[in-house]
Amino acid sequence: MADMRSSIDALVEQMARDLARRVSRRSFLGSVGAMLFSSAILPLLPVARGEEPAATRSDPALDPGDPHACEYWRHCAIDGFLCSCCGGSAHSCPPGTEQAAVTWVGTCHNPADGHDYIVSYNDCCGKDECGRCQCTRNEDDKPLYVPFKANDYNWCLGSKLGIAYHCTVARIVGVSR
Amino acid sequence: MVRGVVVTGSRCRAWAGALLALLAGAAAIWSRSASAQLPVDPADVVEQLPGQRDPHWVWVDDAAFSAYPDGKAFLVDGDGGRMLGMLNTGFSFTAVVVPKAGAVIYAPETYFSRGVRGTRTDVVTIYDAVHLLPVGEVEIPPKRASTIPMSGDQALTDDDRFLLIYNFTPAQSVTVVDMHSRKFVGEIETAGCALVYPTGPRTFFSICGDGTLLVTTLTDAGDLASHTRTASFIDVLKDPLSEKGVRRGDTWLFASFEGVLHPLRATAAGVKAEPTWPLFTKEEQAQRWRTGGLQHLALHGVTGRLFAIVHQGGPETHKDLGDQVWVYDLGHRRRVQIISMRNKVGSIQVSQDYQPLLFACSMESNRLDIYDATSGKYLRTVDSLGQTPAVLVNP
Repeated sequence: MADMRSSIDALVEQMARDLARRVSRRSFLGSVGAMLFSSAILPLLPVARGEEPAATRSDPALDPGDPHACEYWRHCAIDGFLCSCCGGSAHSCPPGTEQAAVTWVGTCHNPADGHDYIVSYNDCCGKDECGRCQCTRNEDDKPLYVPFKANDYNWCLGSKLGIAYHCTVARIVGVSR
Repeated sequence: MVRGVVVTGSRCRAWAGALLALLAGAAAIWSRSASAQLPVDPADVVEQLPGQRDPHWVWVDDAAFSAYPDGKAFLVDGDGGRMLGMLNTGFSFTAVVVPKAGAVIYAPETYFSRGVRGTRTDVVTIYDAVHLLPVGEVEIPPKRASTIPMSGDQALTDDDRFLLIYNFTPAQSVTVVDMHSRKFVGEIETAGCALVYPTGPRTFFSICGDGTLLVTTLTDAGDLASHTRTASFIDVLKDPLSEKGVRRGDTWLFASFEGVLHPLRATAAGVKAEPTWPLFTKEEQAQRWRTGGLQHLALHGVTGRLFAIVHQGGPETHKDLGDQVWVYDLGHRRRVQIISMRNKVGSIQVSQDYQPLLFACSMESNRLDIYDATSGKYLRTVDSLGQTPAVLVNP
């Protein structure tokens, strides 16, 4: 059962990423939203898995700004404590926490290369709030009834360690074209 | 002989008399203070609240965002500016639920067996409203949504019989608890739709991601009787409704991100989207006025006055704190008053009596500011109420 679910998750993840790379933010939201929220398949949200190999920090010339700062371009729709300030990085969780598999996404403009990127705001879970570098930005944030665009949920609900929320990363998962 | 030190006999007697009188007075004072010591205070005295709730009380619900397992609810007397008591309400706390009758208070709560880890248990705790002690609990599925607190996270049906609690795992559903028998009834799927807004003793609606409403009707046992879906009435991508609604009688009122008020009226035939009207003129919109905050609307039912937290910020500032509260006459659909806030606020509530108070707080401080809701005059502040007070609830 678990294997089957993993396979389904992987398939949906790949589909979501392919879709995210092909379409604009608005049409992405419209089409995926209609598909997901008019039926009972919510556990199959477009997920950004925490188990993927960690990337190293990009070239600062291509990825400008300070990941410890709320103004960093990837943080355009974040709401929470920045993992960069808590022992993690823009894409990695601090030690002893777990990256939640389900999350909300934003589309942020990188001023260095002019591209809009799909950014996945995975929560890191299993410990109490980090309490450092709180940052709330609401670009394209939606109410709780549009879950995958709502940053007011505690997305640790999808982690194995329970729903204790620690901090949030801002992982690039694709380019919005 | 030196002038000035000559003392006549009569003056000497006068001085001696005065000195004697002074000594006698001092002795009397000493004697009284020695015999009139403060009485010993009785031991084991614990205050209790009067059975009758005061309309000027308010529950200040603290999400404790920097210490999530440690939610609290503070009861404050708005007239005296005095904290009356507190409840401990567990992890990811949203708000207490106060039934119209009965000296009890309900709180949907989450606990872990080892603080922030271990086995998760969700309960509805029932508190005695006089002693502020837990007197019962109902275990519910460990699914209640963990969100930035919203008033729509939970609600009672109009007859106070069933408590409805929004779940998000991320599958969406509603837990139903029978508060008469104090038993978990069941779970109703609300796929694609969030939160709970009661419209009658057996009906409530949820807002859906496609811009429709899901109207749920319960049986007398609290099970699902029927689901109906309204037509789409909003464009959730262009100008979504903020989910922070307030209710007046049969009508729920929601403001959109751009400041359009949407009345949703419950009728025998279902929930109807009534004509909308703007909270801001075109000039005010051009000046970037918007509603914003966590609990940004409040309503005084008797007078039909709607209170809205506003700020100048433009698009995508729907969660920004406001430095003014604009008051609208719902009957005439026009603004009638502007109240300047002493501090920036994100949550407001209005007492429902004839001399109403306006309560205001934000998660960015832990103080409660209190105003005369009619004149707008600032009255007082109660400070140090938890860490991140989020939702204000009338008792």
